[in-house]
Amino acid sequence: MSSTVTATPTTQSEHPVVLSPERSKLGLLRPDHGKSVIIDWLTTVDHKKIGIMYGAIALFFLLVGGLEALIIRTQLAVPENDLISAQRYNQLFTMHGTTMIFLAVMPLNAAFFNFLVPLQIGARDVAFPRINSFSLWAFVAGALVINFGWILQALEAMGLFSASGPTEGMNDFVPAMGWFGYAPITGIKFTGAGTDFWIMGLQILGIASLTAAMNFTVTIVNMRAPGMKMMRMPVFTWMTLVTSLLIVFAFPAITVALGELMFDRLFGTNFFVTAGGGQPILWQHLFWIFGHPEVYILVLPAMGIISEVLPTFAKKPLFGYPIVVFSGAVIGFLGFAVWSHHMFTTGLGKVATAAFSLLTMAIAVPTGVKIFNWVGTLWGGRVRFSPPMIFALGFVWMFMMGGFSGIMHSSAPADAQQQDSYFVIAHFHYVAIGGIFLAVVSGIYFWLPKMIGKMWKGNLSTWVAIFSTVGLNVTFFPMHFLGLLGMPRRTHTYLEGFGWETYNLVCTIGAYILAFGILLLVVDIIRCFRSGEPAGNDPWDARTLEWKTTSPPQVYNFGKTPIIHARDALWEDKYGPENRKCGEQAEDGHGIHMPSQSWWPLLASAGFIPLGLGLSLMQAGVPFMGYFAIFGLCLCTVGIALWAIEGPGGYHLHPKKDA
Amino acid sequence: MTEAYDIPLPEVDKSAENEKYHTFVNLALILAAITGVELVLVYLPFHTVFILSTLLALSLFKFVAVVAWFMHLIYDKLLLTLAFGTGMAIATGTYTALLILLSSEDVDHDVITGVLGYF
Amino acid sequence: MSESASSEHDSHHNLVVGNKKLLMWLFLGSDCMFFGTLISTHLIYRKLYPEEYDPTQLFSLELTSFSTFILLMSSFLMALAVSAMHKGELKSFRRNTLGVIFFGLIFLGCQVFEFSEFVHLGLTLQSGTFGSTFYLMTGTHGCHVAIGVFWLTCLLFYSYSGKMDAHESAIDVEAAGLYWHFVDIVWILIFTAVYLIEFIGKTGGAAH
Repeated sequence: MSSTVTATPTTQSEHPVVLSPERSKLGLLRPDHGKSVIIDWLTTVDHKKIGIMYGAIALFFLLVGGLEALIIRTQLAVPENDLISAQRYNQLFTMHGTTMIFLAVMPLNAAFFNFLVPLQIGARDVAFPRINSFSLWAFVAGALVINFGWILQALEAMGLFSASGPTEGMNDFVPAMGWFGYAPITGIKFTGAGTDFWIMGLQILGIASLTAAMNFTVTIVNMRAPGMKMMRMPVFTWMTLVTSLLIVFAFPAITVALGELMFDRLFGTNFFVTAGGGQPILWQHLFWIFGHPEVYILVLPAMGIISEVLPTFAKKPLFGYPIVVFSGAVIGFLGFAVWSHHMFTTGLGKVATAAFSLLTMAIAVPTGVKIFNWVGTLWGGRVRFSPPMIFALGFVWMFMMGGFSGIMHSSAPADAQQQDSYFVIAHFHYVAIGGIFLAVVSGIYFWLPKMIGKMWKGNLSTWVAIFSTVGLNVTFFPMHFLGLLGMPRRTHTYLEGFGWETYNLVCTIGAYILAFGILLLVVDIIRCFRSGEPAGNDPWDARTLEWKTTSPPQVYNFGKTPIIHARDALWEDKYGPENRKCGEQAEDGHGIHMPSQSWWPLLASAGFIPLGLGLSLMQAGVPFMGYFAIFGLCLCTVGIALWAIEGPGGYHLHPKKDA
Repeated sequence: MTEAYDIPLPEVDKSAENEKYHTFVNLALILAAITGVELVLVYLPFHTVFILSTLLALSLFKFVAVVAWFMHLIYDKLLLTLAFGTGMAIATGTYTALLILLSSEDVDHDVITGVLGYF
Repeated sequence: MSESASSEHDSHHNLVVGNKKLLMWLFLGSDCMFFGTLISTHLIYRKLYPEEYDPTQLFSLELTSFSTFILLMSSFLMALAVSAMHKGELKSFRRNTLGVIFFGLIFLGCQVFEFSEFVHLGLTLQSGTFGSTFYLMTGTHGCHVAIGVFWLTCLLFYSYSGKMDAHESAIDVEAAGLYWHFVDIVWILIFTAVYLIEFIGKTGGAAH
């Protein structure tokens, strides 16, 4: 390292020291300290910039997924509507689910992980900054591959493109088999290249998630500031750790399942092909072995956000901190033992059904414990109804409603009635929108001032809360009744006379109310960016370390690494006794060591785009796509090799004493 | 280049490494011997259940031995055992359950056999 | 696989184990699920179709036992190489690593030979579920071995570049070693669960 670190003058000069980029071990100039903003963001290894990019891209896909949902709801507004065809409807609900789960909620969570975790534990960056950059760009590559089908579908609609080769005559270029991709419909005999885009895109997103999750586990275990013991960590950081471990251990199942499916489609193997003895039920098992932990991967970070917001605005430490942490871990662990409750109606046998039923009910216990702890936190507190708090309170209520219908599903006989009906849709949208979405909005209202250094203006947030909460209830509450009346999921239209018409119309109206609420949220975010009011270090009188530093934080986060003596470190620092205030680590005279930026993670993940697109387009009969895929693989390998050879580098910063 | 600069590595005790050498040699011999025993065992006319459980026990022993000594897990921090053990435990539990869940009786062999039997 | 920066050195007071080592073990924990899925896919289809296939007609236990032995011994040499690195003995490291690479190549050679034999005998990737699961599982394992050989070769070349400091690179070698041992233990399981089990109660079936 000594050879690659910039030798900055050791004397503290009055003028800012001009840093110039160093050469890496490859002999190339590192992209540090450049003038170009674009290059700076493309090659950044700063967890805060990476977090902001995750957030921006995820919000974009949230709008895309929302638009898809609106088209779906418009189609269903009246019986026998022919706004869109059945095929287009299938594509829309598939992409709505896939987009919302993998391209909106997971990266939104990743945005919070990236921005907050190093700040909350008093670190300068994550453990592996370049892997962090790789995870972000691999996510972007996966998102592009999975959505590329829309371009082909548009060309097909204009009569400019049609499938030949292995999928000749099958012109569905956007995935259309549901986000769970049940076999055998994913077989090459039944669906076209859309399925290939879905397989390749998901595989790339899986790699992105896995690398990010391992990175964050190591960061949280190893990079904590002195005195930040595990049981002093903010609950959000704890939930990040549990979520990361869930990703680490759950994603390989879907990686292998997708690989097997890819082999079925590309090389004619028989993993899920019934004609060759393959068992579609195995796909269901493998998918849900991943899929159920995935549900907790989505929701645990939301619980973490709520556990940060409620105590701050109730002016009370979190009630039963160790129990909240422990419950989160138990939810994560039990999440691996309940996958078959998605498959009660496949005929698992009495013993298995009873076992999975019981385990599923058991998960309600730690979840309920958490809700009681949140309520306990509010009890006797000095509650301030600031925007983040309003959404957090909404979360507790709405998430609980989703939980109640979830409990109903855990009973196998009841589930047999509700399976594949709108009741299930009502359940998981209460959890997803009433739970995760409200928590994420609460998080945005809470932390955006920290991220950009500007404070919210006006009280548009109240209207966002009203419209989104009313909208989600008007949309999804009637779906419980629709489900109980027997309306099946995933059908593009329905006949008159089943008593479904009114409910469906109400749902559609609700969807537009909700969409208006989200539109207001976007407007409010833009207004916040244009706001001239500085946020200050600690606008909410908050408890955790991220509010100790400037808004937005300096590139090195903390001028001097804090030393922690208690949980709720910042409150103790502000209001606690002398022996619990934060200390500061003495400078070692070398300045702050910063990691160098790098092109290679970007190059390595860019290779995924030709790899994924090549293999998928090959299936649609586009010539030379096999070579294109090999080119992508080479790009990946070269990127990783150069990344390994260049050496991490790094340079030293000397912040002014008062910074 | 690495974290070696960042973390002061513990001073290497050469005699400990030399002791490890003997452990490694012994272990390698034992592993080779077990593989031989396994190979012979399947040909011996013992009861199927006996052979099966012995084979499983032997391979489990080999597995644990390599992880513990060759991979240094018993010399290392407990945290690493937890990281690996969690993955191993989840994998074992999940796939044992899955193997029990799926049964040959659920398959219509008369229908399936027609399309199989390639060799 | 790639070398990464530990971004700083002044807040390592909670450091439990090295970043890279922890990352590697997490990856191996994750890989347990990965190979668990592959092996169990194979076992599930064997369980579902017990009579439809008779792999004892194909498998040569002598060959497989030999490659198992080879892989175990390579693991032994790998342990010595890591140990040598900790002692700062570059020469011993090179000798042992060369041995590991050599044994790894023998194992791959055995696998290529085995695959071509099987294809000759009529078992292809498309042969029912057995062909699919067998080839994907053992092939994925073979890919892991090949990646390990490539990784160790890179380290070996690096050790000749003159830039390698035994003290500094010990963790890189150890990470590669952990990966190599893991590939070995996966094979230990495959040897028993996929090969040996088939021969129980079918003595004499391994005649070729």
